[in-house]
Amino acid sequence: MTFRATRRHVEPVAIVAAGAVTPLGADLDGFWSGLVTGSDGISMIERFPVDDLRVGRGGEIKKLKPTPQGGRAGCRATQLLLAAAQDLLARAPVSAAPERIAVVVGTALGGVEQLERAVAPTGRVRQAAGALYDSPAHGLARWLGARGPVLTVGTACAAGATALGTGAELLRAGVVDAVIAGGYDGLCRFVMRGFDALRSLTRERVRPFDRRRSGLLLGEAAALVLMTRDEGAGGPRLGRLLGHASASDGSHISAPDPNGRGLEFAVRAALDEAMLTADDIEFVSAHGTGTPLNDRIEAEVLRRTLGQRASRIPVNSIKGALGHSMGAAATLEALTCLLASRDGVVPHTVGLEEPDPVCDLDHVMGSPRAVRPHVSLSTSLGFGGCNAALVLEGAPA
Amino acid sequence: MSVAVQAVSVLTGWGQGTDALPADAARAAGGRAVIPLGRPALDGDRFRRATRECLLGVAAVDALLRESGIDRDMIRGCSTALLYVTAAAYGSSNQAFIVAEAMRQARTEGGLTEKRPGAVVSGGTYFPYTAPSTMAGEVAIEFELTGPYGILIGGAAATIDALWQAARLIADGRCERALVLAVETFEECADLYSRGRWLVKRPLVEAAACALLVPGARRVRYEAPRTPSALETLARARAGETFACGPLIALALARAAGAADSVTLTGEWRGRRAGLYWE
Repeated sequence: MTFRATRRHVEPVAIVAAGAVTPLGADLDGFWSGLVTGSDGISMIERFPVDDLRVGRGGEIKKLKPTPQGGRAGCRATQLLLAAAQDLLARAPVSAAPERIAVVVGTALGGVEQLERAVAPTGRVRQAAGALYDSPAHGLARWLGARGPVLTVGTACAAGATALGTGAELLRAGVVDAVIAGGYDGLCRFVMRGFDALRSLTRERVRPFDRRRSGLLLGEAAALVLMTRDEGAGGPRLGRLLGHASASDGSHISAPDPNGRGLEFAVRAALDEAMLTADDIEFVSAHGTGTPLNDRIEAEVLRRTLGQRASRIPVNSIKGALGHSMGAAATLEALTCLLASRDGVVPHTVGLEEPDPVCDLDHVMGSPRAVRPHVSLSTSLGFGGCNAALVLEGAPA
Repeated sequence: MSVAVQAVSVLTGWGQGTDALPADAARAAGGRAVIPLGRPALDGDRFRRATRECLLGVAAVDALLRESGIDRDMIRGCSTALLYVTAAAYGSSNQAFIVAEAMRQARTEGGLTEKRPGAVVSGGTYFPYTAPSTMAGEVAIEFELTGPYGILIGGAAATIDALWQAARLIADGRCERALVLAVETFEECADLYSRGRWLVKRPLVEAAACALLVPGARRVRYEAPRTPSALETLARARAGETFACGPLIALALARAAGAADSVTLTGEWRGRRAGLYWE
């Protein structure tokens, strides 16, 4: 693989505020305090039957605040998105004309739970329409009153990163003045059965980068950010998106490329877009699923791209705490970078106790680390050979 | 931002290329709700389990290369971006997985041992094929594409967005060329579409289409027009409802008419229309 640097100047984009709903808490504060205190968001799934599955645990959100639309909010996925949007709007208003507001969200599953209902003999047309993967994004846009572009990014578990990059492009090109971007996915029987059949789910706890790691657990979440052009962003902000890239492995439909080609391309291209080098990176929020293959390949790519500094840059994974939240994961990991910068603390990787020598990095384990990263890297991978990387800068303390 | 369209391929339920399109799709459909596109016969053991929509994506890129005399080596590697769009092509694999899973459960609960159709698409081997990203992934594997990558879920407006993204990637030097690929299948979910027939226009025409964008001399502008362009209207009239494939079919029709230089492409989906203007 040969990556050709462009070194073109790209305007950073301001990340003004964020909102989230996760198994660790009903809002962004609950997510962050749960991460920092090392809370465990994994539990037995109760919302649908899992008796016949090998693994019935996951990061399920037990209580979801009612949305203003109440029972008419549609499927679980839409409800999650609206909960995150409520949290976001409580922190920052969106001050742009409706036709100048875009919604860009990433997902691995869309509204597929509605299809489970639609194909049943009692299924309704509304459920079939809701089963389209872009239905939750349009539901969010309607709720927000946004009349600009409504984009659903389908790069699987990297989609929450690609969505932020896509939103940034809309701002840089002057297509819109504000972007609500992020990712979401809800737990449903469809995905639990699929990953159960793939034997990807662990019966033990999730242990990213640990030598005993034996698989992932799924979780559900939604996370959204409000993005604007940097030059016009007055007032407080969480930070800036400096660079993004998404790249393809062209290797396997469900496993990462054994040499991490796509991820390496994405990391190098995102650094190039940010006009930074590995020397500038002070924290890595890794994909870190806890599967044997992913963690080894990701560690190898980080060592290749970050060079000698790789052993001195703190690395964590949030998936031990809340499971793999698929479309939401990369957005939550981007938020981890920004909140670590804001509060001067990097959460530890829950479940990591005995680092695997083949994943040799400066893992944050056991307890949070008091460090205030200025510039961070977030990496993501997904089905279909999807890879994405974000370079983020925290707001000055 | 200046780009050109080097080639466009179109496969539809009517046949290959724009010459196969009828003058009036609604009339040609003769009351049929869905005009299907068969499963492409592609060589290779790797395609044994691949879904029809995956194969259609591969076939559309293959047709583009063959029709325009482009060698596979030219697009291989990290200098070619791939942007994939679909509104609903994942529907068939999702529905098949759900139905097969329900039958598996029924067999387990009822103590049935007989094998029934559908069970074959249950389980770990087939689950990855339910993801829209797998369709783009199969194309990336087949043509060894390891460059910038994007997947948008949506209809014709999303394809306009994908063409715009492709133009941005080229203009910014992040790739040398970009493939914008759209695939739509309907046949396996015909019952669901028939239940919602007032929501979607007819006939639903299965299609796969691909455009190759390269650096060019014409500027491209992105807007959100209120009304359809003449090309959007023409493509819908001749091809029928093809969701995400519509703008690429329109592009092919423009090229066939010799109007490739100055083109206005629009596409609508769920009440939102996007437009791309080559000036």
